[in-house]
Amino acid sequence: MALPGCRTMALRGALIAAWLALASSGFAQERIQIVTTTTALRSLTEAVGGERITAVSLVPPTMDAEEYQPKPQDVLRLKQARMLVRVGLDYDLWADRLLAQAGNRTIGRSGPGYVDASYGIAALELRGMSVGPGDGHAHGSGNPHYWLDPKNAEVITATILEALTRIDPANAAVYESNRAAFLARLSAKLAEWEARLAPLKGMPIVAYHNSWPYFARRFRLDFVGFIEVKPGVPPSPAHLAGIVRTMKARNVRIVVREPHEPQRDVAFVAGKAGAAVVTLAASVGALPQATDYIALFDTNVAALLAAAR
Amino acid sequence: MIETIAFLLPPFLVAVCLVGIHAWFGIQVLARKVIFVDLALAQIAALGATAAFMLGHPAQSAATYGYSLAFTLLAAVLLAFTRAWGTRVPQEALIGVIYVVSAAAAILLIDQAPQGAEHLKQVLTGNILTSGWNDLALIVPLYLAIGLLHWLWRGRLTGAGSLAWDFVFYATFGVVVTSSVAIAGVLLVFSFLIIPAAIGVMFADALGKQLAIGWIAGILTSAAALAASFAFDLPTGAAMVCAFGVSLAVAGMLYPFLRGDRRKALRVMLASTRGIIAAVLAGSALQLAAAPRADQPLIDLAEYAMPALRSLYFTSSEQAAFADAGAYAERYRREAEELNERERRNRTEGETLDDFSVARISSFLKSYGEMRKGEQFVMEEVRARARGRVRWGAGLGLALMALLFAPVPWRRVWMRRPG
Repeated sequence: MALPGCRTMALRGALIAAWLALASSGFAQERIQIVTTTTALRSLTEAVGGERITAVSLVPPTMDAEEYQPKPQDVLRLKQARMLVRVGLDYDLWADRLLAQAGNRTIGRSGPGYVDASYGIAALELRGMSVGPGDGHAHGSGNPHYWLDPKNAEVITATILEALTRIDPANAAVYESNRAAFLARLSAKLAEWEARLAPLKGMPIVAYHNSWPYFARRFRLDFVGFIEVKPGVPPSPAHLAGIVRTMKARNVRIVVREPHEPQRDVAFVAGKAGAAVVTLAASVGALPQATDYIALFDTNVAALLAAAR
Repeated sequence: MIETIAFLLPPFLVAVCLVGIHAWFGIQVLARKVIFVDLALAQIAALGATAAFMLGHPAQSAATYGYSLAFTLLAAVLLAFTRAWGTRVPQEALIGVIYVVSAAAAILLIDQAPQGAEHLKQVLTGNILTSGWNDLALIVPLYLAIGLLHWLWRGRLTGAGSLAWDFVFYATFGVVVTSSVAIAGVLLVFSFLIIPAAIGVMFADALGKQLAIGWIAGILTSAAALAASFAFDLPTGAAMVCAFGVSLAVAGMLYPFLRGDRRKALRVMLASTRGIIAAVLAGSALQLAAAPRADQPLIDLAEYAMPALRSLYFTSSEQAAFADAGAYAERYRREAEELNERERRNRTEGETLDDFSVARISSFLKSYGEMRKGEQFVMEEVRARARGRVRWGAGLGLALMALLFAPVPWRRVWMRRPG
């Protein structure tokens, strides 16, 4: 007689296990699907959303986000997403066409899930559409690499928090505490980075592309020239000769490049002026060590210090 | 001056080497009618490099070069065979297919090997400007050896040969193209290959003379283009390709004078120049009459060269409004630039600005941008209204000028008039 009881117990146990499995998978499915254009924004979104969200970045970390060519899977990702976080400031213009193709109103420009992370950011180097030769950007709305100032993460995460609260008000408190914890960690780290980079204050540096004004402002670095004057156009001999002259005159010892930028041009300029080439990551994952937003700065600070030594 | 020469000497010497070997290959390529074969070979080499990156080999390593070379040699086998298939389908079509498939395959591989994106871009544009003595040390012996080989076997390598000799031709050509493209990019290498050879073939029949003319034309064009790119601050590769285009056009215009009836050539040239001018004038007349607010390239160009031309059709109040808006636009631009410069200096000098001040600067800059756009709108509006007013009169004037320039024998028409 004990057998049927045992069987009932086993059956009940199996049922409970199945229910748990279903419930947990249901719980997993309830994670909010978020699409970001870049990996840096993905990392910041994850910092706020924590366990409640799944974020994917459209642009792979080692690619130039300004020249990204979307893939069919990207449209699918946008169709299924409840939130889109983009850089804005004309940086990821290709996302507009993807949004139109996806036709998902929730993440469309006036939808609750649309986040332009540049909202509220004090943009640097704003020039009219046709002004300002020689700054290496065609952006009329300012230099778009604002996430490279860790202090701007406060504004970016605030915008993300606002959108998450709009979409999922039930978990607003969780998101808020996630953000507070992240900012506390970031603030401690920022103090550390500032202290470590203090000896480099005012040090003249040349970069391939003008991605670093926000980084320079925060850590008081002096980017005195850029190899690429206009995006996608190879530098002219007069410009390269001028850069080499400036480097010699100002004793520039560091030339900065990102992993996707031409090694050859950078090595040429550095070789002529006797400077070292430093590869910095402008986005999360661009270098293997830059695994998240905080590691991105850890990596860059360490690389700069190693080169300056 | 010495600094400039020191800066431009290595790229010039590289250009001399590239012209040297490519003019020879170009003459062969023209004879074999496989004009785009270098693009296909360069693309195959890039595909090989991308495959090497995907397998974890660093750029500029021996393994990467090995992969490039292996892919190129495979393509050489394929190309040697395509001549046999080329009886029904033109060989150029098959070469085109090799090019597009290898380009597309490389893009597919980039997803697995992101460094490939930089490499592919480099292959397309290249940068001869940053080539140096180390490049010369590599290509001079290589190109001399291949050149010597071709000279010794020139009888077998030129014209229709056996499958094996075709393979030798494409394999050596592949090695040359792979090295050249890595330095100068496909656009420039294509120009080095085809244009000096075309000029040589145009003006001479004997192989030696064709080569000599091609070399002289190629070297002179390279020197002029490098100098112009320095003087006018232009990207070197693109400037050189355009200069080669111009030199071919000049050679094309000289050809009838040197090898045909000079008087007839002059007549044709004059008539075609008049025809082009008349067509441009007539088009501008139509554009002005039909859509005075649209772009008017000819009138805009004339006004850019001589701003005083505006006084011909602006009223005095329009002139004042135009000048006023121009002055304000320039003032806003300068003030925005000053603000940008002040912000830039402050990154390293003095007390750092707090975030609120940076935000204020940012908002000022935005306002300056908007105000400048407003002034530019005023300038465009004033000009559009003035052009709208004179559209019929000025359009008629331009049309009459077009008639005057048109290659019509007006004197004969005038003499034949009735009465």
